[in-house]
Amino acid sequence: MSTTRKRVYGYLAEFKSASALYKAAEKVRDSGFKKWDCYSPYPIHGLDGAMGMKRSILPWFVFFGGMTGTATAFALAYTTQVVIYPTIVQAKPANIFTVPAFFPIMFELTILFSGFTTLFGLLALIQLPRLNHPLFASRQFHRATDDGFFIAIEARDPKFSPNATRDMLSEIGGANIELVEEED
Amino acid sequence: MAHHHVTSADIAINGDHLDSSKVAGVKSIALGVAAIGTVASLYCLFFAPESIRGSFAYSWVFAFYFFLTLSIGGVFWTLLHNVSNSGWGTSVRRTFENLGSTFPWMFLFVIPLLFPQVQQYLYEWMNIHREATGNVKEHLHHTNHLLYNKYWFMSTAFWYGRVAFYGIVFSAVIIGLRKLSTTQDTDPNPGIKRLLQARFHSTYTLIIFALTITFTGFDFLMGQDYTWFSTMWGVYLFAGSALNSMAVIVIVCTWLKSQGHLKHVTGPEHFHIMGKLMFAFTTFWAYITFSQYFLIWYAGITEETSYFLIRNTGNWNIGMIALVFGHFVVPFVVLLQAWLKKNPKMLSIVAVYTLCMHVLDHYLITIPQRGVSLGNIKPDVFGPIQVSIPGAFWGDILAFITIGAAFVFFLIRAIGQHSLYPNRDPRILESANLFN
Repeated sequence: MSTTRKRVYGYLAEFKSASALYKAAEKVRDSGFKKWDCYSPYPIHGLDGAMGMKRSILPWFVFFGGMTGTATAFALAYTTQVVIYPTIVQAKPANIFTVPAFFPIMFELTILFSGFTTLFGLLALIQLPRLNHPLFASRQFHRATDDGFFIAIEARDPKFSPNATRDMLSEIGGANIELVEEED
Repeated sequence: MAHHHVTSADIAINGDHLDSSKVAGVKSIALGVAAIGTVASLYCLFFAPESIRGSFAYSWVFAFYFFLTLSIGGVFWTLLHNVSNSGWGTSVRRTFENLGSTFPWMFLFVIPLLFPQVQQYLYEWMNIHREATGNVKEHLHHTNHLLYNKYWFMSTAFWYGRVAFYGIVFSAVIIGLRKLSTTQDTDPNPGIKRLLQARFHSTYTLIIFALTITFTGFDFLMGQDYTWFSTMWGVYLFAGSALNSMAVIVIVCTWLKSQGHLKHVTGPEHFHIMGKLMFAFTTFWAYITFSQYFLIWYAGITEETSYFLIRNTGNWNIGMIALVFGHFVVPFVVLLQAWLKKNPKMLSIVAVYTLCMHVLDHYLITIPQRGVSLGNIKPDVFGPIQVSIPGAFWGDILAFITIGAAFVFFLIRAIGQHSLYPNRDPRILESANLFN
């Protein structure tokens, strides 16, 4: 007999198909759960709506990331080409009216900084990379990358209850309901 | 999906028709304004004192070409819808076709520009050709080498031939495609035959479209200064044309929805896509416009820089800088927001704003040339070259209202002629259940 202490992560329930998962997600959403997620081998169109997910904050990060890129490029080009070392080419002005020559650089850095904020902002929001996930303790969960459709409701959700949540999952069509425990 | 799934029971079997009595008032007012305006314009073009005739010729080109870009853009969206095998746009395709079908009517306003009495103020190269004695090409060979080299393209006969080509061939394109589409509404057995036909006939006609938008721009606008040239000119006019015809389409669809039409078949998702296309072409316009400026600016060739020198002289400079912010920065930031594009009323406000910027854009394309050309062509009447001709602004307003009223009339007339969406198109349900 093991003496390791374990902590309850939550319930994991399997659903037959993508459409069963979709309908179950709507019911979980309507029951008021907040800390739960769906797992499927492939993206399901409209599932974010069925789960009641709010719009991501990521576009705002990208917008300000992009603006930082524009400002950085302008500051860099203006400081070097106008302030520190005025470069006169073909009798073009070396002052603020040189700005058309800076546009390509401003454009490029806007794109670059937007790309960086998209990637790193996304990774931060979804908390990746990470070494392990409590659901990996489940014996059946690996099928989420093959042919399994799962809903997991976490125990830290305020509406979670050991019996009522299990009953609800079985009522909405969940099979192989499993209490997932992680090692402390 | 949260919204109602549209089935064939929701599609009006005999089409969704505009109640003609509801728009009769607007239509007759527009027609009346256009008729009175045309009479006044003809007076200003042919019978008024020469100082008015000269400056009004530019007003006419400005207004004529502004509304022509909207019609040409309507044809473009029809062709693009067909050739890209698009499913989303079937429910709004009729509006594309209706806007495009104003082209043959709007092109009639070219007629005054066919007369040498009007051309003499606009196109200096024609004057030089007409003053030639004997063989024109031989004459140019000795007197004007630039026009001699351009003779293969810039000759009056070829010019008239090209104008006839736009008027006849491009009109035939939209009339044919619209007819193919509207006869389906009453066909008891509509298959996919028309779908395939429309797709096929939209391929090579896209070339006709490209020739029309490019060379009308060359002939009517760029030709005002025969020494100036820009390889970006055609695509620059196209960018504004596609953007602003989509703005007109958004406004028309919003209006039709507010009148209770396009029910079930057009919703926020369609406006979202149309908003995204407006956003794309706002960016495209900025990209092309800046590229044209940038190429001319860094090359610094005398013949090319004249365009921007004229438009940066005097107060025209304010307009040019206003374009940078008003035509690009503001709509770019505003149209970034997804919720706004899904809201027909909000998107229509942006569309009206975009059209105002398009007016400014085209005003700056044609009008700054007026003071330069007239002072150059007839200094005895118009005085020396000046930044702008005092008082000529009222002529611009007259021409704009005249041709604008005609545009409104022909657009509403086209909208009222047939069902407001292709009710028997095999892909109408696919379009109605659009989700993006």
